[in-house]
Amino acid sequence: MSLLKQNTALFGENIPWFEGLREKACTIFARIGLPTAKTEAWKYSYFKEDALNKPQIDSTPHQCDGHCHDESNLPFLAVDIKYCNGKLTHIAHDLPCGVIIRPLYEAIEDGEIKPYLNKSFDMEEFPFAALNTAFLDEGLFIVITAGTVLNMPIYLHYHQHHDVNRLSNIRNIVVVEKGAKATLIEHFDGENDAQYFDNIVNEIYVGTGAILQHYKQQNEAQKAHHVALNSVLIKADGQYNAFIVHGECTLARTESYVRLTQENAAAEINGVYRLEQNGISDITTNIRHLAPHTNSDQLVKGVLDGKAKGVFQGQIHIAPDAQQTTGYQLHRALVLSDEAEVDCKPELEIFADDVKCSHGAASGDLDAEQLFYMQARGIPLQEARQILIEAYLNEVFEKAKDSAVAEWMKDSYL
Amino acid sequence: MTPKLLEIKDLSAGITESGKEIIKHLNLTINSGETHAIMGPNGAGKSTLSYVLTGKPDYTVTGGSMHFCGHDLTALKPEERAALGIFLSMQAPVEIPGVTTQFFLKHAVNAVRKYNNLPELDTAEFLKLLRSKAKEFEVSADMLKREINVGFSGGEKKRLEILQLSLLQPKLAILDEADSGLDIDALKIVANGVNQWHNNDNSLLIITHHLDLLRQIKPDFVHIYADGHIIRTGGMALAEELETSGYKNYLEASI
Repeated sequence: MSLLKQNTALFGENIPWFEGLREKACTIFARIGLPTAKTEAWKYSYFKEDALNKPQIDSTPHQCDGHCHDESNLPFLAVDIKYCNGKLTHIAHDLPCGVIIRPLYEAIEDGEIKPYLNKSFDMEEFPFAALNTAFLDEGLFIVITAGTVLNMPIYLHYHQHHDVNRLSNIRNIVVVEKGAKATLIEHFDGENDAQYFDNIVNEIYVGTGAILQHYKQQNEAQKAHHVALNSVLIKADGQYNAFIVHGECTLARTESYVRLTQENAAAEINGVYRLEQNGISDITTNIRHLAPHTNSDQLVKGVLDGKAKGVFQGQIHIAPDAQQTTGYQLHRALVLSDEAEVDCKPELEIFADDVKCSHGAASGDLDAEQLFYMQARGIPLQEARQILIEAYLNEVFEKAKDSAVAEWMKDSYL
Repeated sequence: MTPKLLEIKDLSAGITESGKEIIKHLNLTINSGETHAIMGPNGAGKSTLSYVLTGKPDYTVTGGSMHFCGHDLTALKPEERAALGIFLSMQAPVEIPGVTTQFFLKHAVNAVRKYNNLPELDTAEFLKLLRSKAKEFEVSADMLKREINVGFSGGEKKRLEILQLSLLQPKLAILDEADSGLDIDALKIVANGVNQWHNNDNSLLIITHHLDLLRQIKPDFVHIYADGHIIRTGGMALAEELETSGYKNYLEASI
């Protein structure tokens, strides 16, 4: 497993509990390895280690050309945080009251992270999260303290230069305490021609009555690989709303592993993807209803052209005592070329009897009657197609809770 | 001599996929300023004619020719035909979820202007134009904000078609059953809109089953259309006669 055979000196090798965790992760990853075409959870979007082209762990300190401290160019106020080449380079100086944002290594050093780090998933089931743990070196510990209502989003911008083929393992721990409300935006991009592999794990703890809006804009460089796990635990009356936007890169996978652990917990996952060349977009969800009166809703729509491939795997699990629960899921894709492919795998596991669940999937081309109607009014075919594609994806954008953020995402996307 | 706006000669056309021929050796010339009505039994291919003229991909021309202002229509895309001035008010206007009516109308107006080398209208200019026209056709601000034709009543759809006619100012308007599903008041709005637009430089081709619309938009010519071509041409009197005696006599005579 050459990904593991790298001579690196990472932070925290003198902290026994942490080093123990990394060693355990190494052992697990060495045994389970990269997923293959036979790995059920990855069968549509597995990749060979060769295809990764030997990404390197970069343990040297970050060399900054000043670029990484540029002010973000957002049309709204936000708490700015930057990762450059996989290294945390900037945290806004003035944090709003009730918000704690610390580099992960600090929270590892003083042990504050212990109750949260690797406590929301089992590495045996998530090979890339095991890899992420084995090389864990960078990340954030974000706490929205009880009752705090943030009036601006926390904006995490991840940028990659094209200097080396880098494997970046980043872990963010996000704790939204009882009754707190916050918005988190993750924005990934890279320079043209940059080759890299972003391996992101977010562990998200939504407390009683807390609400987290989680927006993600994946706009990685064309040759990049991007794998992210959002591992989410939600307590009573808590809400987690994710909005995932996938642009095109070699392979991007966002997996939402969400557990509704107590009554009235709710999760909403909306996503769009649009690929025109030969990339793969994988949006995988696993929503586990573990308590009564829990609700989930998912809408994912994609547009595929060229030789691109879109994958949606959506699992809804309803535990035996999760009565009076609702779980809805819909995936739709526009397939605009013969060589594009869409793979959809909905899975419902329902062990309770008093539940409302549904799933649906559909794929097709643009509507010829609609195109002709627009052409008959003088709108050129290409423009008409673009209008219909935007309208198609707009249905999802309209579900975003924060219209300013949704507008910004849409503008940089459509 | 009045200039020829549309000249159809010995035109044959059919369904692209099956090859089934629907229009058979059709001849029709429309000059500027004229209003022509086409009447005929169901299934005669009247709507097909409107689609062939506007370039719907489902239909293919297999013989003959059609020229509009001297342009060979068969060489032009639907959007080019529209930008040159052919407008089709569809029998069943298409619903487009996710696209608001106002947004669509602005794109259409500017696409046509751009093709004709006119400066595009900015939002303020467009809204000014739109508001004055919308009022005329009793198209509410609410309708303009809604998605195109989605949830519109039959009358609302047809009023929106005529609003588009008025915005786009074509040279030839083809009205395919613009009167279907309309009550008396809505029919009046549609007819008034068409009459207001109509002048000596533009022309009308009305496809209809009913006299109500023709009584308000007085045609210069009435054609009976059956089995893919025109079997008889007359004036308004011919339409009146059809209302009492039906197509039967003419169909039998043509065989």
